[in-house]
Amino acid sequence: MDALIRLDGVTKRYGGAGRPALDGIGLRVAAGDAVAIMGPSGSGKSTLLNLVAGLDRPTRGAVAVGGKRIDKMTEAGVARFRRQQVGMIFQFFNLLDDLTVLDNVLLPAQLAGVRRTDARARAGELLAALRISQHQHAYPARLSGGERQRVAIARALVNRPALLLADEPTGALDTEAGDQIGNVLLDLNRAGQTLLLVTHNPELAARYASRTVQLVDGTIAADVMNGARR
Amino acid sequence: MMRWRPGAVAAAARGGVARRRATTVVIGVVVLVSTAACTLALGLVVDSRSPFDAAFAAQRGAHLAVTVDKSRATPAQLAATGRLPGVTALSGPFSEVTVSPVIGGGPGGPGYSAPPITLVGRPSPGGPLDHLTLIHGRWPHRRGEFVLSSDSGLGLELGAHIAASGVPGSPVLTLVGVANSVGQTADGWVLPAEVPALRAPGSLPTAQLLYRFAAAGSAAALKADARSVASALPARTVLASQSYLAVKQQVDTGIAPIVPFVVAFGLIGLVLSVLIVVNVVSGAVVAGYRRIGVLKSIGFTPAQVVATYASQITVPALVGCLVGVVLGNVLAVPLLGRTASVYQVGALAVPPWVDLAVPVAMCCLAGLAAIAPAIRAGRLSAVQAIATGRAPLQGRGYAAHRLLARLRLPRPVTIGLAAPFARPARTAVTLTAVLLGATTVTFAAGLTGSLNRVVVGQSHSQAEPVQAYLPSGNTGGPANFGPGGAPRALPVAVAERTTEAALRAQPGTLRYVAEADERVSVVGLTGQVDLTAFRGDARWTGYDLISGRWYNRAGEAVVPTNFLTVTGTSVGDTVTISDAGGLIAVRIVGEIFDTSNQGLDMLTDWRTVATADPRLVPATYDVGLRPGTDPQRYARALGHALGSGSAVSLNTNDPFFLTLTALIALLTVLLAVVAGLGVLNTVLLHSRERVHDLGIFRAVGMTPRQTIVMVVCWVAGPGLAAGLVAVPAGMAVHRYVLPVMAHAGATNLPASYIAVYSGPELALLALAGLVIAVAGALLPAGWAARSAAATALRAE
Repeated sequence: MDALIRLDGVTKRYGGAGRPALDGIGLRVAAGDAVAIMGPSGSGKSTLLNLVAGLDRPTRGAVAVGGKRIDKMTEAGVARFRRQQVGMIFQFFNLLDDLTVLDNVLLPAQLAGVRRTDARARAGELLAALRISQHQHAYPARLSGGERQRVAIARALVNRPALLLADEPTGALDTEAGDQIGNVLLDLNRAGQTLLLVTHNPELAARYASRTVQLVDGTIAADVMNGARR
Repeated sequence: MMRWRPGAVAAAARGGVARRRATTVVIGVVVLVSTAACTLALGLVVDSRSPFDAAFAAQRGAHLAVTVDKSRATPAQLAATGRLPGVTALSGPFSEVTVSPVIGGGPGGPGYSAPPITLVGRPSPGGPLDHLTLIHGRWPHRRGEFVLSSDSGLGLELGAHIAASGVPGSPVLTLVGVANSVGQTADGWVLPAEVPALRAPGSLPTAQLLYRFAAAGSAAALKADARSVASALPARTVLASQSYLAVKQQVDTGIAPIVPFVVAFGLIGLVLSVLIVVNVVSGAVVAGYRRIGVLKSIGFTPAQVVATYASQITVPALVGCLVGVVLGNVLAVPLLGRTASVYQVGALAVPPWVDLAVPVAMCCLAGLAAIAPAIRAGRLSAVQAIATGRAPLQGRGYAAHRLLARLRLPRPVTIGLAAPFARPARTAVTLTAVLLGATTVTFAAGLTGSLNRVVVGQSHSQAEPVQAYLPSGNTGGPANFGPGGAPRALPVAVAERTTEAALRAQPGTLRYVAEADERVSVVGLTGQVDLTAFRGDARWTGYDLISGRWYNRAGEAVVPTNFLTVTGTSVGDTVTISDAGGLIAVRIVGEIFDTSNQGLDMLTDWRTVATADPRLVPATYDVGLRPGTDPQRYARALGHALGSGSAVSLNTNDPFFLTLTALIALLTVLLAVVAGLGVLNTVLLHSRERVHDLGIFRAVGMTPRQTIVMVVCWVAGPGLAAGLVAVPAGMAVHRYVLPVMAHAGATNLPASYIAVYSGPELALLALAGLVIAVAGALLPAGWAARSAAATALRAE
């Protein structure tokens, strides 16, 4: 298997003594996979996601994405890696309140130095695909939770990343909005987008991921392929 | 309902201090620097009001310095004057001698003669009265060494030699120290054993007695005291006496031009410090609103919230105040030392009440600045406090973001530039702090430029760097001495021909003009004024015109401002002068900048006075040099050409102005640092508030460098705006203060002394605000760039 994500013996400790948040994790995720990371609170799910995104560094072990060791990169290098290779969506959307929907979506492209017209075209395409074009000049505070998460997904995809990381993407949404976002992610994965999804919802994992990794106390307790997705 | 428990308040305050270490440190540092700046600023302002009195008290100055003829009174009779009614202290007798020094005379060969100086024999700089302040070097250890008074006007370097001319053997003294006597009791000091060797044959054995009196507040009282001393001694024992009031008046007049500028700097420093402390402390409390909401939600009363935040702020503020006042005093040592030399008083120190008042006021200020927003927070509901503390008001600054996003600038720049609109009140305070700092820089730049022109205008060091004196000149300048120190007389015509030939022969000579210096009476004016008559064109000699024009013909003159003031005349009026028994009508055609002889002099054409005074002879040649000619080498070469003991001098700039320029630079840097700390605090508060947004930026791919650019741009806009406003503001302060300084010195200023800002300089000064803002923002921007994105994102 040609792994897009590769974790070898990854341990992450916060502070001094005590149990590590992640303890000797080894994991491979192939391009095009949709993998759900599950586990109870404090099991290390978000830590694992942060390490893959390059938002944090392991205490020990190696993290590689697309064949590149991101744990060895400089801060600037990992930032450039992130904006080119990784898109992130969060439970609470993490949109910038003082930017319009369009400006939020354009931001990663602008930081990456993408030409203005190209960036706007790509953003328009994504907003249309996610059916939120009508809100492009609105501010996030005026949108519903589901709409905000669509904006976050558009922002995550604007630079055509190889990997989409989602941290409890439906956790702050009602059932209907959650289903809609789940379907968007499913469609993206079917179109070839690699997806790493953190959730504590087994149903969501079963419906939208082809594989589920179960974390308990910082170690992998189970790693199973799911049955046929919806 | 939670009861009032000091333990809970203390625990919450302790937790706040520990949790917000960076904020605590910033508050401490800002209060520290502000306290230090205020201590210095107030110390300067207070000392500016009465530097002589402060130094006089510190040195235990003598009210009266009396010169006596020791041969007419016994030591017992002299000592008995210390027990006269009204005399509270006596010091002396110290042997005293007047010496005609030849500067550079001695091992270095022949030198220049200088006006006579009074040397006093004292075993040490201390004593019951007139504690001398040793500014440089040391006290003499052995014979052949001397200490010079900082007021002597000789301006010698340590190690320089002077020879006592007219004394057998022309004894040579080496300068080992420079000291200050606030009462200006002597021009220099030697060991008592040195004095006999310095006395010219046949001169009186004089000594100095220093007195303090119970009643010495007025000239009349001192006159009575002097009479009482004189009458207690044998007739003609007292040869002369000098009152401290005369010195005080002279010093006060001398420092008058400096006081407005020091007060201006001091006030800017005080306002800036207060503003920044209020900004930092209130900002820190506002940044803690969310925590206040949490405290309220667990049962803290509004009073407990106020007590918690007041004590949380008081701890670093108290430490900052205490260290700041110490730092202020440490900084004050060199700064007030420089000020003291500017004021020509021995030593200045921060007054004790300033040391007490400033930290107390700063602590109170910090407490009040904390209490006001804490009371406001205490009145809010817990939910409101949490919501207010989390983010700026919804909608603020959104339009700025939208508009700036359209600019074709890097996105981190446009996001940064839009940020100040989210917190208009905080931005306004920051802008004001930077504005004051940048205004100070603009004012200081202008002041330095003006002072440079003043010093050059006073010294004529650029227009006529060299002066050659005729041996028979009666100017008080260097004289030509023959072997044995006796003046060598030359016929005037011969001396003129010799000097002019030597001047023409020097390759560096550009032009020269002969001048005669006279003392003349002006009809209707008590006393005499100096009159300089030039034999030839003298427009180039460096007297800058304030109004009117340079004289064109005989019977016309230009005069300084004070001449016009004292005589009640204006440009265009005619005055009558009396010279050599004749009356001459002179029309004033121009007002010039010249402060010599307290501005009581006239410059005119040779022919104006030559007809009335046929004996008029030149005393000095003013020499202009070709570009690139080194004045010192030229003077040496000219002196060599004119023969040994040549009477050539250099016009050099007064070191007083160098000291003043250094003082300006120090104060400017200090105030710019305080302004920069204000910016640092704003950026720190803003980055704390936006820590979550910073995490988002990092998550979507913002590099550390882009983060730094964005954070710096938060304050770059206000900094640039402040800089642009600061230029006209600083120029306005400069335009106001300069004439006030000049008027205190009894002169107007040429327009060119005020219009000192050049276009490129103004462009650079306009960037001063930006520089202060960027410098203040760089440190917290670096912190923001290094903050862990994952941690920031968890700060929801």
